[in-house]
Amino acid sequence: MPRLRVLLLALAALLPIGGRAANAQPATLSVSGNPGLLRISTAVAGSQPISVGNSTTTYTVDTGNPNRTYDITAQLNAAMPAGVTLTGTYAAPAGATSVGQIALDQTARNVVVGIPRRTTSTHGITYQLSATVLAGVVPLSTRTVTLTIVQAP
Amino acid sequence: MNTTRLLATLALLTAATAAQAQTATQTVTFQVDAINQIAFTGSPSLVINSATAGSAPASATASGSWAITTNQSNAKITASINSAMPSGVTLTANLAAPAGASSAGATTLGTTAVDVVTSLTQVAEGSLNVTYGLSATAAAGVVASQSRTVTYTITGGT
Repeated sequence: MPRLRVLLLALAALLPIGGRAANAQPATLSVSGNPGLLRISTAVAGSQPISVGNSTTTYTVDTGNPNRTYDITAQLNAAMPAGVTLTGTYAAPAGATSVGQIALDQTARNVVVGIPRRTTSTHGITYQLSATVLAGVVPLSTRTVTLTIVQAP
Repeated sequence: MNTTRLLATLALLTAATAAQAQTATQTVTFQVDAINQIAFTGSPSLVINSATAGSAPASATASGSWAITTNQSNAKITASINSAMPSGVTLTANLAAPAGASSAGATTLGTTAVDVVTSLTQVAEGSLNVTYGLSATAAAGVVASQSRTVTYTITGGT
């Protein structure tokens, strides 16, 4: 009997938490996968190497119902090699704003701002790789881009 | 399950709710290959048609331009022509060097490739001057209009 009482108490304690979770369900973010290899391999004589891009991936955002707006930030796990720049462009959901093409680095930077509540949608991501001749030859490398959805200030 | 364990479980449940995945990650893979590009513009025409009495015929010159992009170090440009010049006639090329490189100056062109610019390191530069010179001795005689193809090659970068 004491065990049953404890169990009932536990269930009773869980109910309010479950209720709050339903109302304050955190916004979620997911991506469709990884972009393909970004490979710079040519140039027009007299100019810097030709940049390459990839627009094959998307992100999906779900902000739920809380009366607040959200931003998405992006950052790299490590700096890019000298002379090499990775930019990202993240299309915005309705009612939000994309900051456009932005150079990615180890600082979390806003890429989409003002995502309203009740937003559940999927949008394109475009990565672009550029390099100057001073970058030299860069062997196959990877960087992790972390996208984070945060409550707008 | 005692009360302490129950509270701990509830705390974990609450924390899990607050820490639900709000991030997503992508792996971006990239590389930059060795890039060596040169381009030349212009099809210069060179005519020798005068001399100062008592001297060899006056040389002729013509200009063009060239451009380069390389992301390697210590590359060089060689030049050659597709067939030998007539006896007594000499064709030279003089390429202006981009920043940090060295020009060999006016260099006689033949069917064997010769260095015309060296020490090319990580440079992207255009509108560089190239000057062709044509000279002939009196012994060359009259040479009918003809053409040569100059082949420039960028090589040797590391």
